[in-house]
Amino acid sequence: MSLLSKLKQKSYQIAIISVVLAIILGFWKPHVLIEGIQRACLYAVIALPMALILGIVGIINLAHGDFMMLGAYFAYFLNVYTGMDPLLAIFPALFAFFLIGIVSYKAIIKYVLGAPELNQLLLTFGLAMIMEQLANLFWTSRPIKLSLNYVSSSATIGSFTFGTYEFVYIGAAIIVLAGLLLFLKRTSTGQAALAVGQNPRGAKLVGIHVDRTYLLIFSLSIALVGAIGAIFMTRHSIFPLVGAPFTMKSFCLIAMAGIGNLLGILWCSLILGLAENFVLSFRGYAGWADILFFALIVLVIMIRSRQRQVK
Amino acid sequence: MRISRYLLYIVILIFLLTLPIYTGVYLLNVIDIILIYIALALSWDMLLRSGQISFGIAGLFGVGGYAAVLFHLKLGISPLISILMGGLAAAVLAWLVGMAVLQLRGMYFAIVTLALAEIFRVIIRNLPDLTGGPEGTVLSSAIFAGSSTRTYWLVLAGAIVSIIASEFFRRTRIHFAITSIRNDEIVARSSGIDVFKYLVFIFVITSAIQGMTGGAYAHIYGFVSPEGSFSVDFTLLPIAMALLGGMHLTWGPVLGAVLLGAVSELLKLYIPYGHLLVYGVIIVITILFFPQGILGTLGQRLKKTDTG
Amino acid sequence: MVVLKTENLSRYFGGLMALNRVSMEFRKDEILGIIGPNGAGKTTFINVVAGIYLPTEGKIFFNGRQISDLPAHKRCRLGIGRTFQLVRPLQGLSLLENVMVGALFGNGLRQREARKKAEEWCEFLELSDITRDITRMTALEVKKMEIAHALAAEPKLLFLDEVMAGLNSDETKEMIDLVRKIHSRGIVIGIVEHVMRVIRELTDRVVVLDWGEIIAQGPYEEVSNDPKVIAAYLGEEA
Repeated sequence: MSLLSKLKQKSYQIAIISVVLAIILGFWKPHVLIEGIQRACLYAVIALPMALILGIVGIINLAHGDFMMLGAYFAYFLNVYTGMDPLLAIFPALFAFFLIGIVSYKAIIKYVLGAPELNQLLLTFGLAMIMEQLANLFWTSRPIKLSLNYVSSSATIGSFTFGTYEFVYIGAAIIVLAGLLLFLKRTSTGQAALAVGQNPRGAKLVGIHVDRTYLLIFSLSIALVGAIGAIFMTRHSIFPLVGAPFTMKSFCLIAMAGIGNLLGILWCSLILGLAENFVLSFRGYAGWADILFFALIVLVIMIRSRQRQVK
Repeated sequence: MRISRYLLYIVILIFLLTLPIYTGVYLLNVIDIILIYIALALSWDMLLRSGQISFGIAGLFGVGGYAAVLFHLKLGISPLISILMGGLAAAVLAWLVGMAVLQLRGMYFAIVTLALAEIFRVIIRNLPDLTGGPEGTVLSSAIFAGSSTRTYWLVLAGAIVSIIASEFFRRTRIHFAITSIRNDEIVARSSGIDVFKYLVFIFVITSAIQGMTGGAYAHIYGFVSPEGSFSVDFTLLPIAMALLGGMHLTWGPVLGAVLLGAVSELLKLYIPYGHLLVYGVIIVITILFFPQGILGTLGQRLKKTDTG
Repeated sequence: MVVLKTENLSRYFGGLMALNRVSMEFRKDEILGIIGPNGAGKTTFINVVAGIYLPTEGKIFFNGRQISDLPAHKRCRLGIGRTFQLVRPLQGLSLLENVMVGALFGNGLRQREARKKAEEWCEFLELSDITRDITRMTALEVKKMEIAHALAAEPKLLFLDEVMAGLNSDETKEMIDLVRKIHSRGIVIGIVEHVMRVIRELTDRVVVLDWGEIIAQGPYEEVSNDPKVIAAYLGEEA
């Protein structure tokens, strides 16, 4: 019993710390606060689908960020050939990547579900390489960017200006998180998925179709990540390797929050996003921002190993 | 029986040592690359035998390369010794990472190693005075003044060291420890095996090999850079080679390195962009259909006909 | 003389209390039985004593020395051995090599000596054709290999976790004789069993666990007539 209350305190501690830090930043470096929150939401919205797959299907997908990259290219070419605005491309992307998810699951992922973690890691690593190299082959490594005028919109409060377009990430994060939580807790399919995640054999005994659940969750996750690629494309230049860092950062967030803790991912993204932007704000040290996630994940792993009573 | 075996080894060794006499420079360069990949593929496999995957080959390779070059340039250490220092640097890094992360193993360890290459690229770009920044650092001359024979002997020595290390891991008690750990950690611990210590040890040794190989590579080509020294090639190819040739064996990764190393040269000529695709496909297909690789599947078939 | 003593040993998993203030003694020259309905905590007890889990509360003493914080591999080297309920032979090693693992690491022997020791223990347990592949063994042979593996580490205290499960009547008799033979070597034995005949024939004393607590202790005849024990088992059947 005492362990439970300790745990509760820790997650509240994290939330309190991030809120306090946010307030301090708000007064000291407001740019960092705003941009940090925007960046945090980008990370969160990419990490959430990965957390879904890891928590329910139990598979680690090292090609996760590369699906986002494909989504970005998808939106780009849709724009080039049909003039469709990438934000609208979210909808065809959702559909297309849901199909891609189904195909990937049935053709490949299904076979390593029962296999040791090693096989899953190697297989998804191979997949990631294939996707990155295909992109390289078709579209070369030259970065491409769309110039859309609404992307540079900004607002001014008092003496400082900030970009307002990036709030779309905050919107996306809230929609995705709320949507996922509602789906998992309120719908019968979602609840079945949660049951499968906790105890696949038990779920099967109760009559839940485990394989179909895995298929649904996996495809849903890929659909989300593909659609996010479309949003990402509006603001960033894309190239074949653009997705890879997001895979690692997503994993860092999942490790920090704990597998199965979707809300925790939001708080942890906040910490990472704010920390990165904080470092970025110092002219001479901006380049070091990309190491933060590594330091965080190593720290988290070291703390977790201490905590583990089961040796 | 034993004597004729050793005689065979000696004959092969003499043949290998005198190879430069009857092969042209181009072919020798290709063989150099194959030998480098033998070392990388074997060292990766040695860690795999314990049940852990490292995606950090490129990271440790690059760290070894930079360490070797910097020790040579900044401290005037001779190229050969600096290559050893490269191995040492990689070993220290592996020790730090291993101590921090190997308690949790599995995917946590694998993904941390995956991030290593990226991390060091960032560090190197941010310390331009020390490392030469994004453009990298060029050495005024390659090791052995570019002599292709001596270069070949160097990488041959590296490959032989890796093969000896792999066999050492297979014939001593380390084999028993590694196999137990891979199968079932709880059983291993209950048998008296200090799992954590063994894993850190193996990670450090295999990383040292990868670091030394990186140091040799840097001195041979006379050049280190964030993109080139930490290229994903150095992680992707060894993994594909070890899986294709047959994991958990000494000669499996060697076979894979020979096959895919030769193929890589051809591929680079015909498909300059994205030839790495082939290796990704090989990994996916081997994991799905032939997890034992060539030698492993052959070995199983032989066993079946034995008892059949 | 007390070889192993646990003092108020408790182990929680989250909110679940798997062991609750278990205080037990294992005396020299004794075969102690540990019985109880499914989920009573018998295997958890072995896991905590062997070091796979650390105790949440309480202490463990082995030959007078406190070992509550020692990692599992050190406890094995000190002389605590155990078998596993679901035997998982080590793939990639032959039968003999599986047994050798215990000798190499539990006992710290060199390969040649370890091989000899392993051969001796296999002979002791009447295991033949020991260089063969582990994929073709009978259930009895698998169990014997498991026990040989544990014995190769030269334990002073050996826990046998449901070694009789799945054996027919003749095999059970053979195993009972083997356990006596092991005991005659001076090894203290803790035997977890569901097969009551085994407990009746082999043990000097029995400890009964239910819901992680000791509900009865004593010789088998006493314990098997204890109404609390009967209720616990009947509760399981219901």
